[in-house]
Amino acid sequence: MVKKLRNYIGGSWVDSTATNFTPVVNPATCELLAECPDSPRADVDKAVKAAQEAYEEWRRTPVLSRAQYMYRFKNLLEERFEDLVEVVVKENGKTRDEARGEVRRGIESVDYAVSVPTVMRGYKVEDISSGIDETAERQPMGVFAAITPFNFPMMVPLWFLPTAITCGNTYIVKPSPQTPLSMELVYELLDELDLPEGVVNLVLGGKEASLAVMEHPGIVGVSFVGSTPVAKIVYETCAKHGKRVQAQGGAKNYIAVMPDANMEASVANIMGSAYGCAGQRCLAGSVVVAVGDAYEPLKNELVKRASGLRVGYGLSETTQMGTVISASAKERIESMIQMGVEEGAQPLLDGRGVKVEGFENGTFVGPTILDGVTPEMKVAREEIFGPVLSIMHVPDFDTAVEVINKSRYGNAASLFTSTGKYAREFKYRVNAGNIGINVGVAAATASFPFGGQKESFFGDLHGQGPDAIEFFTDRKILIERWL
Amino acid sequence: MPSLNTFGAILTYAIEMESRLRDYYQAAGSEERARETDKRRSNLERVRRENVTEIKLEPIEGLDEADYALNLDDASAAGQQAAESTAARFYTDTAPKINVREVQRALERCAKQHAENASK
Repeated sequence: MVKKLRNYIGGSWVDSTATNFTPVVNPATCELLAECPDSPRADVDKAVKAAQEAYEEWRRTPVLSRAQYMYRFKNLLEERFEDLVEVVVKENGKTRDEARGEVRRGIESVDYAVSVPTVMRGYKVEDISSGIDETAERQPMGVFAAITPFNFPMMVPLWFLPTAITCGNTYIVKPSPQTPLSMELVYELLDELDLPEGVVNLVLGGKEASLAVMEHPGIVGVSFVGSTPVAKIVYETCAKHGKRVQAQGGAKNYIAVMPDANMEASVANIMGSAYGCAGQRCLAGSVVVAVGDAYEPLKNELVKRASGLRVGYGLSETTQMGTVISASAKERIESMIQMGVEEGAQPLLDGRGVKVEGFENGTFVGPTILDGVTPEMKVAREEIFGPVLSIMHVPDFDTAVEVINKSRYGNAASLFTSTGKYAREFKYRVNAGNIGINVGVAAATASFPFGGQKESFFGDLHGQGPDAIEFFTDRKILIERWL
Repeated sequence: MPSLNTFGAILTYAIEMESRLRDYYQAAGSEERARETDKRRSNLERVRRENVTEIKLEPIEGLDEADYALNLDDASAAGQQAAESTAARFYTDTAPKINVREVQRALERCAKQHAENASK
């Protein structure tokens, strides 16, 4: 009997009232892991009510006590680290090391949350007029929620939840129905903390639950990570319903390589950027822009290294690239490769149809390299979200910057060079929220905001770091005198 | 294809090797050595947990676990020396392949400890 997943509401695991369930499938083995309920609005409403009821007491819980819960949470996450890793691998398909990196990042967000007693402090100025003082305080706001994606099922919810609740809010997570098991385990750990009932809630589901979150009058703010079309909808819908919103969308990340780059070290790092998590991350390098004479050695080294990557089931320690999330994702990615070929790109390495022994039905796409890609081609413009790296050849640095800035996305861009001048110019001129210099995955750590510009981000305050404190609190100004 | 081709493959091999060495020393009645290896195992588990970051996750080339097979059937002094030498060589070879300094330092320390044991 396949396990039917339950929601976590008001401090208890409760059956959803859903009538439809989404199969949760291990993309490598095709094993049916569980069934995820498509929770209806009524379930979301129940979670919001529980979170609202918990809020008044929780916000009055001293901030130092709230932080203590996070210390305990961190310890539990460390103790169960490898179990968490295994769940991520099984439901998502990434490799063990990638899952370890993800869980580590999640724990770093919990580490950041324990600093809330320091970083949510206000400020005060005496005598703004004779005998009158002015104070700015930060206060929690109520019930926040996150709608999170399949590609980082552990890390992304932890970008938000720990900081939000340590600031004094209560919280609801609505994870991707493709990967709900990571959050199920995280909520088992949260349950062990003995938090007041309703401080943290989990509602499983798809579109209906997401819309209910966006439209519910009891939710004050929503964090979203996913594709650009959906991020736009989330941004607009939440704004229409008077909520704060931070919506991180898709990406098309460019990596420029100068002729003076350390080619071997650069390519090793580009491998991780393009093929890490099978290209299913919003920071994945998607287009390599080879500048001038960098082209030939770069192309040769990329093909050599990429063709040597071991594709397989992520649970094996020797697997270097796992699956994509589903059969439909595989089909979409392979059709994008075909489109690139039809547009005139040359497949130097074609990952379509790759088979892994023992996992013949797994949703594997091998590392793919398309050469001769031009800025007009769809493969250069659209997010593929798979292990496909396009090579574009440009004559000089200025053209590389021009090409990158034409993208409608602005999540990340990297430059590989040994010249400080180019590095500085790249950082200064390129319109992307996360810039890497000789780093292919420019991922902000928990104490920095995760950037994103243009159609990669909708909102004002980014996730993580000081932006998270701003997002999860409101300022109150106190002007006082004593007569 | 070489089997020690990822950060996790190397660290997991090291952890398993230390576990096997602990059992080996326990069976041989060398409690101090068993404690020492278990401490290394525990430390390596922490290192594996704390130091994998996607920014620097890169494929690793040129290492195969077949080159570091331990013969744990021989509990004699010479057998123990040989096992310690193999372990020292494993850590010496793998440390420079990992691009995170904290991990290198941990592996270098293991190499040093095993080399000292091998020379006793």
